[in-house]
Amino acid sequence: MSEVSSATAEMEAIKKKRHWPPELNALIGLIGIAIIFEILGWAIRDQSFFGSLTRLKIMILQVSIIGIIAVGVTQVIITGGIDLSSGSIVGAAAMISMSFAQIGTYPKAVFIDLGWVDLPIIIPIAIGLGCGLLAGLINGILIAYTKIPPFIATLGMMVSARGVAKWWTKGKPVSFPTDEFAAIGQGMTPVIIFLCVAVLFYLILRYTVYGKHTYAIGSNQDAARMSGINVERHLVLVYTIAGTLAGLAAMVLAARGLTAQSGMGVMYELDAIAMTVIGGVSLAGGRGSVIGTAIGMLIFGVIISGFTFIRLDAFYQEMIKGGIIVAAVVADVYRQRRRAMES
Amino acid sequence: MKKILIVAGIASMLTTSVMAQNIGASIARFDDNWLTVMRNAMVDHAAGLDGVKLQVEDATDDVGKQLNQIQNFVASGVDAIIVNPVDTDATVAMTKAAADAGIPLVYVNREPVNVNELPDNQAFVASNEIESGTLESFEVCKLLRAKGKAGGASILVMMGQLSNQAAVQRTKDVHDVVGMDMCKFMTIAEEQTAEWDRVKAQDLMTNWMSAGVKFDAVIANNDEMAIGAIQAMKAAGLDMNDIIVGGVDATADALQAMKAGDLDVTVFQDAAGQGAGSVNTALELIAGKDVDQKVYIPFKLVTPSNIDDFLGAN
Repeated sequence: MSEVSSATAEMEAIKKKRHWPPELNALIGLIGIAIIFEILGWAIRDQSFFGSLTRLKIMILQVSIIGIIAVGVTQVIITGGIDLSSGSIVGAAAMISMSFAQIGTYPKAVFIDLGWVDLPIIIPIAIGLGCGLLAGLINGILIAYTKIPPFIATLGMMVSARGVAKWWTKGKPVSFPTDEFAAIGQGMTPVIIFLCVAVLFYLILRYTVYGKHTYAIGSNQDAARMSGINVERHLVLVYTIAGTLAGLAAMVLAARGLTAQSGMGVMYELDAIAMTVIGGVSLAGGRGSVIGTAIGMLIFGVIISGFTFIRLDAFYQEMIKGGIIVAAVVADVYRQRRRAMES
Repeated sequence: MKKILIVAGIASMLTTSVMAQNIGASIARFDDNWLTVMRNAMVDHAAGLDGVKLQVEDATDDVGKQLNQIQNFVASGVDAIIVNPVDTDATVAMTKAAADAGIPLVYVNREPVNVNELPDNQAFVASNEIESGTLESFEVCKLLRAKGKAGGASILVMMGQLSNQAAVQRTKDVHDVVGMDMCKFMTIAEEQTAEWDRVKAQDLMTNWMSAGVKFDAVIANNDEMAIGAIQAMKAAGLDMNDIIVGGVDATADALQAMKAGDLDVTVFQDAAGQGAGSVNTALELIAGKDVDQKVYIPFKLVTPSNIDDFLGAN
């Protein structure tokens, strides 16, 4: 129902105005989905879906960690690339940084023999960010200088980084961080971290040279090169930022669960890409924004909470989630075709 | 010079393969906590035995990959194969691959679908999965009764991945226990998957609480989800003395949670016992001994009263 009405609304709006921002489509989708769950909420649970502060909080909290990754992925996709390695980087960075954040009194701490435990919090944080940065840097160098497709370079990193995550402790989980480290992931801190990251990169993409170059490379790499942009160096920077944000997400995730496990972050890369695409960032490159991604993230948050709320079985959840992702890309293709016809 | 080196290399390979008993093992996944304890026990046990060489492969939860690994083991001429099946319904082809080559095969931890039709040189080492969920749920039932809630209690069930046999069985065990006369007072208010994952369990629990669900106990298919539920309830300010929480696995984290008074019930599955048991069974099969084709290693209930027996066990 809402898809039909939003499609007709879109057509009319295009007639009136040439540049209908893709974020608006995502926002309409978000509102439509929200209304559906509100109605179903009254029908099934006899209470308002949005009338609970706890639920509003969990809706954002449960997607904010993948949201941090998605901010990096957004920039990668704007350059016309893709990053499949973020989920595995989360696994590796979580394992490695957590092993430096364990409390000294825990008898099974990874580095207890070395007396390295109870380190000041800056050390595990620097190590976690460093892991992500290094992985992203390798991605960027491979893509920019060997000219292999981003899909392949980051696929390689996806496999290798997962290997690192398992190898670090031979698959054993790493638990019991210090209170300071745990604080990164407690309460609504993950949401605050997400907001800081999202606002920062929204402003950077919109108002700085870095942002202009990112969009220019995604729109037309050759034209960008001819206009004097150092495309290679810029791509390395974009992938390094994406990797570093995955490292940040890893620590928030580990601190939230008070544990790091080598299987952490599996499929996160695909969720992050899906959020980005649902938010109207075009896989063809050159278009989209962090605001769109944030809306895409909220759609995920609303449907996860909504499905639980209306007691929908997990099988159907996955089917519907897949449908929403495909619908978003169909909308993107449709939008591009309209634009091409008009110009 | 080069030729001599190659000949020497081949000769040394031949001598080691004659001297040692080579066992190839394919494990469903390396990043599973419990399977890691089992895998490390296999490796340690084999390392402590003279002349036993164990090669362990990660099937990364992929049925096709696991079958390839088994065929590679067969091709490289190992003396026995240990398989921790990714999918318990996919074992017929594995049994055939090993049987055709005349190589002994041991299934560990997960019961193959053809367990009753295994050839003589194949065996199965595991715990009986029906025990775990039943022990857990029945203990939760008893604890609720002891709290004076026999007049009616509401429980939440957190399931593992729905494609996993243990998740299906443990969930069924909860339903079976609820069906017993003694435990009929329990009703299942909500039942949903959190995919064995601690953080997903936190989110699920918070979503439930936000819907105003009233509950007296949480029964999770594994400890990780039980811990996630506890973390979410504590964050919401609930008193953990009022709520019974049960898990399965007796992981180090879970035992710490039990010591802290948050987790009430867990079930110990002897990972090290199964790992070492599978290596021993493989060696007996290599030696041509007559072995039990089903070796069951029992589950044990863990509560605050006997927790000290299990600290450091898994």
